[in-house]
Amino acid sequence: MNWKKQRHSGTVRLLHWVYAPAVLALIFSGLYIHSPSRAFGFKRMDSARKTHAVAQFLLLNSYLARICYGIKDKNYKEIIPNRKTLKAIPEFLKYEFFLSEKKTKYPKYNPGQKILITSLAGLIPVQMITGMTLYFKPLQRAVKAAGGLNPVRWLHYLAALMMVSFISVHLYFTLTNSLKKLKSIFTGYA
Amino acid sequence: MVNKDVPAKPLIIWLGTNTCAGDMLSLLNAKDPGYQELISSIAELRFDYLLGASEGSDAINVLDDLQKNHKAAYILVVEGSIPTRSNGLYSVIGYRNGKAWTALQAVRELGAEARYVVAAGTCAAFGGIYAAAPNPSKCVSLQAVLDRKVINVPGCPINPEWMMGTLNHLIQYGEPALDDYSRPKLFYGETIHNLCQRRDYFDNSIFAAKPGEPWCMYKIGCKGPVTYADCPVRQWNGEHLSWPVKANTPCIGCASPEFSDGNVPFFEHLPDVKLPGIKVTANRVGLWTGVVTALGIGAHLMGSILTGRLAETLKKDLPGGSKLKIRPRLKKGHK
Ligand code: SF4
Repeated sequence: MNWKKQRHSGTVRLLHWVYAPAVLALIFSGLYIHSPSRAFGFKRMDSARKTHAVAQFLLLNSYLARICYGIKDKNYKEIIPNRKTLKAIPEFLKYEFFLSEKKTKYPKYNPGQKILITSLAGLIPVQMITGMTLYFKPLQRAVKAAGGLNPVRWLHYLAALMMVSFISVHLYFTLTNSLKKLKSIFTGYA
Repeated sequence: MVNKDVPAKPLIIWLGTNTCAGDMLSLLNAKDPGYQELISSIAELRFDYLLGASEGSDAINVLDDLQKNHKAAYILVVEGSIPTRSNGLYSVIGYRNGKAWTALQAVRELGAEARYVVAAGTCAAFGGIYAAAPNPSKCVSLQAVLDRKVINVPGCPINPEWMMGTLNHLIQYGEPALDDYSRPKLFYGETIHNLCQRRDYFDNSIFAAKPGEPWCMYKIGCKGPVTYADCPVRQWNGEHLSWPVKANTPCIGCASPEFSDGNVPFFEHLPDVKLPGIKVTANRVGLWTGVVTALGIGAHLMGSILTGRLAETLKKDLPGGSKLKIRPRLKKGHK
């Protein structure tokens, strides 16, 4: 019998392991499309574009499924920052900036994680809309709001940079903050 | 001379506002039908700011006559953007009743009575070069000063056939199918990139490193992927001879609504970021984002090591971690 409390359900883990590689594939193929260089792991634009296309559908579907699951299971409440989260930010920052040694225990995610995950969740639709407008002409209305296709390209690039940055921070903290919590994204239990 | 007769052929007014005259000059290169055919058998070019023989009040009277006596019978083509600063005084069409008749007044008055209004070139369609920063005359597109539909035929300059085709469509079949930017889908229905002869080089990552090379121009800033126009198949100079990429230079996206501010530098993939006092390239933004992230993570990691937090995590979480010999915390433990 497993007496430990489950930290991540099977659905959360499954979806995480669909969209995490998809996002990584999108970042590397996207950087290659932005500036073709073998450093990003591709030799031909064609393969980078195909990877980008397949990964975007994996991300789109897993993201939508995660949103549905979050609403059905009400676990979005654990992620989206609320007033309590905002109040807890100064104390959290003090600890993270080594100004205090008092490590507060949070129900599931700390304020930093909540803000990070919510920001990533907010950036993904930006990428979906800008990416699709670069791809499909019928979405030109969205292009018009941005001032043209080249500005849309910029937005897509900027949001990608932000995602790279946030994901690096996410990876850093998962690898150094608590190895048990890191284990839980594989096994479900911390 | 004022002409009050009923015209046998459709009437066209070609008005020049803030323009370099490139669009009219480009139209002269049209072929099948050519300019001569346009003015002799297809339509009557009643007013042309560049090619008209009359000047002064003689010329302005023609416009007066068209506005008063040929309501909804003429096509108004405007070439150039419309300056709005100082009530439009930065572009004056002529004098009416002894007063300067600005382009702003002229397009509003003539546009209100026209059957169709067509913006010729990117300046008229989207503001273009005259509306580029710092835009001292506060130039705007034709649509921005008219509250009726404008058919946009952008390009810097227009391909002669985009304009000839649009005019002929208006005359023979009425309004062509337009996209969300009010451009005829006939000519702006697909990206340059999707029609390009060098697309195969793009897919196989065979890129030109400098202008003049016969490969894909993507790495030197080609805006073909973000520009809707049929240049690669229609080509230019009336004889369908060439187009920028065929001439070994990148497409600069001259038919796009963001041209030119949104497309410069022309030889870069993305435009620079312009904030008050600074200008940064897109690649530098990427580099700085990476550096700031790496420094942030590095600093935190260093702090975690020095304060012993990382050691504590490893000791606590690793199997057999308690036996690890890791340097003790510099500060006191958690309260
Ligand atoms: S030259 Fe320009 S338009 Fe042609 S394939 Fe390359 S990027 Fe696309």
